[in-house]
Amino acid sequence: MDKPGRRRSGGRSSRVAARQASAADALVTHIDRGIPYFDVLNEEALALIEHNAETVLEEIGIDFKDAPDALALWRNAGAVIEGERVRPPRGLCRELLKTAPKEFTQHARNPARSTIIGGDRTVLAPAYGSPFVRDLDRGRRYATIEDFRNFVKLTYINQGLHHSGGTVCEPVDLPVNKRHFDMVYSHIKYSDKPFMGSVTHPERAQDTVDMAKIVFGDAFVQDHCVTTSLINVNSPMTFDATMLGSARVYAENNQATIISPFILAGAMSPVTVAGTLTQILAEALAGMAYTQLVRPGAPVIFGTFASAISMQSGAPTFGTPEPSLVLLGAASLARRLGIPFRSGGGLCASKVADAQAAYESANTLQAAAFAGVNFMLHTAGWLEGGLVMSYEKFVMDADQANMIAVFLKGIDLSENGQAMDALREIGPGAHFLGATHTQNNFEKAFYRSTMADNNSFEQWQEDGALDAEKRANMRWKAQLNDYEAPPLDVAIDEALLEFMARRKSASADQDY
Amino acid sequence: MTEAFDDDFNLSELDDQELVTQMHDDLYDGLKDEIVEGTEILLDRGWGAEKVLNEALVGGMQIVGVDFRDGILFVPEVLLAANAMKGGMGVLKPLLAETGVKPIGKMVIGTVKGDIHDIGKNLVGMMMEGAGFEVIDIGINNSVDEYLAALEEHQPDILGLSALLTTTMPYMKVVIDELVKRNLRSQYIVMVGGAPLNEEFGAAVGADAYCRDAAEAAAQATRLIEARRSANA
Repeated sequence: MDKPGRRRSGGRSSRVAARQASAADALVTHIDRGIPYFDVLNEEALALIEHNAETVLEEIGIDFKDAPDALALWRNAGAVIEGERVRPPRGLCRELLKTAPKEFTQHARNPARSTIIGGDRTVLAPAYGSPFVRDLDRGRRYATIEDFRNFVKLTYINQGLHHSGGTVCEPVDLPVNKRHFDMVYSHIKYSDKPFMGSVTHPERAQDTVDMAKIVFGDAFVQDHCVTTSLINVNSPMTFDATMLGSARVYAENNQATIISPFILAGAMSPVTVAGTLTQILAEALAGMAYTQLVRPGAPVIFGTFASAISMQSGAPTFGTPEPSLVLLGAASLARRLGIPFRSGGGLCASKVADAQAAYESANTLQAAAFAGVNFMLHTAGWLEGGLVMSYEKFVMDADQANMIAVFLKGIDLSENGQAMDALREIGPGAHFLGATHTQNNFEKAFYRSTMADNNSFEQWQEDGALDAEKRANMRWKAQLNDYEAPPLDVAIDEALLEFMARRKSASADQDY
Repeated sequence: MTEAFDDDFNLSELDDQELVTQMHDDLYDGLKDEIVEGTEILLDRGWGAEKVLNEALVGGMQIVGVDFRDGILFVPEVLLAANAMKGGMGVLKPLLAETGVKPIGKMVIGTVKGDIHDIGKNLVGMMMEGAGFEVIDIGINNSVDEYLAALEEHQPDILGLSALLTTTMPYMKVVIDELVKRNLRSQYIVMVGGAPLNEEFGAAVGADAYCRDAAEAAAQATRLIEARRSANA
C-alpha cells in the first residue's frame, strides 16, 4: 500500500497547478446512468395513456399543414386523410417506428467528442431559442451573434455540457434569412462538440446539412448522424410546413430530429397530467412516424417540452409539480416505445438568477435526471420562460450539470466504495480525516461545487460578500478570457467561409 | 365550480339600477343569454344604445378587467365574460350604427407571415372585445398584402400585429414600412405584441404601442383611441 504524504510530489507549485486545473480537462461525451428510473405510472396506467393516444390519432387526428408531400406519404402508409387532417389507424405509428433506432451516435468533428443518444445515457446541452440575453453588467438586451459565439465558447469550456446545442440565443442583429449560416459556423468553428441545425426554413436545414458535408464529407453524412435538430409540434395536434419541411430535409439526409410537442398545459393541452400525456404521445407518435415515412431508419428522438400556464394570467410557469409529472410520465412512455427521449432543462420563469430561478430550475433538472432523459436541451442559461439566456445563470447551471452526472452514476459498491478498511482502521470515537482510505480518496470523494460558497461568514465577508450571481459574473468572464478555440482544419474553414459567402450573396437580406 | 346562487328571478322585474347591477354580475359570471336579455330590456325601457353600452356593458367589463389584473378572475372566466359582452354588443351594434354613435373602436388583428402561433393574439382579441372594441381577426401567417386588404375592407382604427418567433417578428417592420410607403401609416394606430418583443423593438419598427399582455393591449387601445379622438376634435 502506498503511504500517502510520505513521498515528494513536487511541493506547492505542482499541487497548486493540479488543484486549479478544472474538472474540465476530462473529456466526457455523456453520462452513463447507474441508478434505476423513477416511474410515476404503473403498467396499467401506461397502457391506458397509450390506448387513449391511439384513440386521439385514429378518431381526432393530427393536422399536417401546407404539406401535400407529407399527406401523400401518410395516405400511402394507410392513414385516413381528410383535408390536412391525418388519422393514422390504431397501431400504424408504432409499426412505422420499428425502423427507428433505439440509440444512435451523433458524430462530432472531434471524434473524441462524438456522443451516443439513447439507452441508459444522458447528454446535456445548453438552452435554446432566446431572443434576449442578460448579464449583470449590461442587463437585459437583444442577443447578437457576438453573444451567440460567447455561449458556444462557454458551452465548449464547460465539460458537463456534452453537446454544443443549437440556437444558444437568437442573433437578432443578423438578417433572418442568413443568420443560420453564422450560427452553424459558430458551432463548428468555436467548438468541436456535436451541434444542432437550423429549422426555420427547409432551405436553411439544407444549408446546415451542406455545411456539415464540408466538415465531415458527403458520404460520411449520408451514413452517419452529424446533427440533431429540434422540430416542435405546434400543439395542439398541428405540424406546420416550416417544421415538416425541415424535418423532411434532415430525415432524408439521415440526420436526427427531436419531435417535440410544445406544451403550455391549460392553453395547448388539457389541464390534467393524464390528458396532456395522451396528447404528447399522440403528437410525438405522428411526428416521429413521419420521419420514418421519409426515410426508414432516420434517427429520431421523442421530445417533450412541458410547462403549465398561470390560469390567472395565461403566462407560462415552470418548476411546478404537474409538468414534472408530465416529464416523468412521458419518459416512461418513450422508454416503452424504445425511442430516445428529450426533455427537462434548467427551466424557470424568473427574470434574474435568483432564488425563484434556482428552485424552479432545480425542480425540472432533478425530475429530468430521475426520469432518465437521454437528451437534455436547456440545461444551462435559461431565464424568463426561455426569453432570456443569462451569462450568470449559465455557469450556475453548468455546475448543476456536473452534479447531475455524479448523482446519476449511482453508488460505488466496489471494495474501495464499501470502505470496510476505513471503518476497521478508525473504529469508534475517532475521525476519518487521517484514515488511509480517506487519504486515497478525498480529492474526488465529494462533488466540489464551482459556484457555492461554503466559507465562514467572516471569510465570505472578507472576500467581498459576493452573492451567487456576482460570483457567477466573475466566473463566466474568466472562462471566456481563458477560452482557446479547438483547432479547425484550415481547408475546411476556408471551404465553409466560401460556401457561406456564396450562399449569402445569392439573395438579398430579408426580415423574414 | 362556483357555488350556485339562487338565480331564479326575472330580469324584467328589476328596476333600472338593479338591472344594471345584475348585468354587471352576469357579465362577471359570463352569462351571455342573460346579458342579451338585459340589454334588450333596457332598450325596451327607452334607454339609448350608447347608455346601455357604457353603463351596463363597459361598466361591467371594467370590473372584470380589474379583477383579472388582480388575479381574482382566471383566464377561462374572462373568456366567458368577454363572450357575454359580445352577445350584448351584437344587439347594440346595429343601433349604434343607426344613431351615428361613434363605436368604441375597431381593430384588425393578425399574426404575421411565417408565424402560425395565435394563442396570445386570441387572448388580445378577447380582451379587446371585452373592452367593447369590434375585433376583426384575420388569423395567422398574414402577408403585407393580406393586412392591406383587411385594412381596406374593414377600415379599422387599430391594426394589431402579433408574432411569437424571433424569426418572424422583424416582419412587423415590413408591414409598417409598407404602410408608410403608401401614405397609410397615419390612418391607423398600430399596436404590436408577442413574447420576443419589447418596448425598444416596438419603437424601432415604428409601432404606436408595444403591448406586453392582453389586458395591457386593451388598456393601451382605449387610451390611444381617446387621445386620437381628442386630438382630432
